[in-house]
Amino acid sequence: MSTLPLRRRRPPRIPYLLLLPSLVVLIAALGYPIGWQIVTSMQEYGLAQQFGQPPVFVGLANYIEIFSQDQLWAVVARSIAFCLVNAFVTVALGLALALLMRAVPAAIKVIIQVCLLLAWATPMVAAVTVFRWLFDYRSGIVNWLLTEAGLERFAGFAWLSSPLTFFLVASSIVIWMSVPFVALSLYAGLTQVPQEIIEAAQIDGASPRRILGSILLPMVRPVLSVVLLLQIIWDLRVFAQIRLLQDAGAPVAETNLLGNFIYELGAARQDFAAASAVSLFVLALTVLLSWPYVRSLLKEAEE
Amino acid sequence: MKRRLPAVLAASLALGLAACSSPTDAETSATATGAPGSSAPAEGGDITMWVAGGDTPEALRQYLVDTFAEENPGSTLTIEEQAWPDLVSKLTTALPDAANTPDVVELGNTQTPTFATVGAFLDLTDMYDELGGDNLLQSFVDVGTVDGQIYAVPYYFGSRYVFYRPDIWADNGVEVPTTLAEFTEATEALTTDDMSGFAMGGQDWRNGISWVFANGGELATVDGTTWTSTLSDPNTIKGLEMWQEVVMGASNLPTTERDVAYWDFLNDGADGAAPDAATIMAPGWARWSIGDLTTNDDGDEVRDGMADASKYDIFALPGVDGGVAPVFAGGSNLAISAASQQPELSKALLRIIFSEEYQRMLGENGLGPANSMYTDSLGDDKFATTMIETAEASKLTPAAPGWAAIEGAFVYEELFQKIAEGGDVAALAAEYDETLTPMLNG
Repeated sequence: MSTLPLRRRRPPRIPYLLLLPSLVVLIAALGYPIGWQIVTSMQEYGLAQQFGQPPVFVGLANYIEIFSQDQLWAVVARSIAFCLVNAFVTVALGLALALLMRAVPAAIKVIIQVCLLLAWATPMVAAVTVFRWLFDYRSGIVNWLLTEAGLERFAGFAWLSSPLTFFLVASSIVIWMSVPFVALSLYAGLTQVPQEIIEAAQIDGASPRRILGSILLPMVRPVLSVVLLLQIIWDLRVFAQIRLLQDAGAPVAETNLLGNFIYELGAARQDFAAASAVSLFVLALTVLLSWPYVRSLLKEAEE
Repeated sequence: MKRRLPAVLAASLALGLAACSSPTDAETSATATGAPGSSAPAEGGDITMWVAGGDTPEALRQYLVDTFAEENPGSTLTIEEQAWPDLVSKLTTALPDAANTPDVVELGNTQTPTFATVGAFLDLTDMYDELGGDNLLQSFVDVGTVDGQIYAVPYYFGSRYVFYRPDIWADNGVEVPTTLAEFTEATEALTTDDMSGFAMGGQDWRNGISWVFANGGELATVDGTTWTSTLSDPNTIKGLEMWQEVVMGASNLPTTERDVAYWDFLNDGADGAAPDAATIMAPGWARWSIGDLTTNDDGDEVRDGMADASKYDIFALPGVDGGVAPVFAGGSNLAISAASQQPELSKALLRIIFSEEYQRMLGENGLGPANSMYTDSLGDDKFATTMIETAEASKLTPAAPGWAAIEGAFVYEELFQKIAEGGDVAALAAEYDETLTPMLNG
């Protein structure tokens, strides 16, 4: 080894130098806030500290206090359930729409795509406002339709008043807003499946279900995994939709998800330390939930 | 390659920093001109005032800007409006930041103790007498007082009373009540499947606590500096139970409603259809959203402000034994940021606000002036007299340091919702006392 000329052992420097700018941006934009959060989560940091009192280091006391509350675990369980249900329903609906687009004539496909893009382009606050109006207990069209259809008990039914129906409305919004991305991504993936393979399968007498299960899905699996992973991450971080719905009158404590819980701790109760502690917990949770997918993606990339 | 690198680095560093720091507005340059160092206070400077919501009318804002410019040559006042729901978080981030802090801020009276106790505001004790002294609304002064020092002064007060439909009440043979129990009876009698006798959202504790106060109850008491939630006090429980009775018996609204535009319920429906409620409770300015439709000078369709007294009228919420029930006093305080770079100019602005002329302008616009010497500027019609009558009997929420946190976490909303759903009041009171006492103390 020592006989090798020195210059061959020297690693090339330019690739690292090229990486440097983006690394600096990442550290400045992500590293600083996370570092601040880690430090703050181990201090007593409230409104008084915000106004200049020196923060006191308390070690893991904030974590112990937060994790010993039933309230946090209720929020965690609710958030995970909400995230998984929404992510899987979104991907299933998106897949169904992508397959539909593959099957229909071009003109109808364009109509579907335009509709999807419009739904996706709707600003979130506007979308939530529209849903609030749709489900309004006094003048909402949903109650009107249900009552007209003979379901008298929906006259004046307050959808946002009980957690279950609240999350039904919340899920409708979240799914409605995220299906377009999934549908269009999967459709793009489906167009990459060579037509010859499908024709060959048809000649062999494969049923449409068999073609879907054995040819189409395996071939779009990379796209499917990525959109599912993204949906899980996004749906775990959902905040504004819930907050805006709560503003229309809802049982707040029973409908808080993790994002809302952190906001309540930080912005409303001014307990920035506890808010930081829960934020870091959510970061860990996100990594944990998405790790299996990231790993399988990495493995696929290696292959 | 090597020669170019620093430029790339610098550029990306700048990008990274730009992503990090978030200058709230262009005030930075303005404050810089009037930064310390400029020793003579007469030197020109710029100050910013935050008003909360649209309560301060445009004409009053213009008056402040013009008068300030006139009295302080070379200096300017900028008024920025902040939305009520964002106010606490904006104050939390802006006030400690000397480069971006507003100089004078308006904030809700219930939010004042939270900031006054952490030293966010400038001590105004030495100019208290000059601003009006004991003539200022004392309950509002109290929420801004910490250890005998005054950090916030009243801006304006509002009050709330009952708006009702005399035509519907008369059709049902129901008369204006003189006691709180009669009020429950009357509004229950008016209630049908399609119309609330008294529209009241289940989470609406700001109106609901009037029933607590009327029964001599309190939400919390203080012993020295330690606050205790007193929901389990017999008087408080009596009040909560009375409220439960009227909400369950006379209101068809969902128990989760909180910020309800009640006035919509009192107006006739489309094409003269019957209203959704025969009675509501609201702040005095709700008057301008009530009445029959008419057209204003700009050709817009507006409510006529209850012109037809046989159709729309008001009364003060009656007390338990007659008289007037103490209601929750709405209103705002004013304070100067402790981090303000222009304390002298900020004080000059306060002097303008507390001048007789401006105080009277507040009254003429239906806002209760901070200085009780000018209360007569509100006028002498029934709206003004009822407002003054109810405001005199009104009460504030506890001036506890943790109050803003409790409001932010919707704790009372939750409690009142459970009561409105028919929960056992004594058990709920005991449960929420335990939650609230540590929160009150911050």
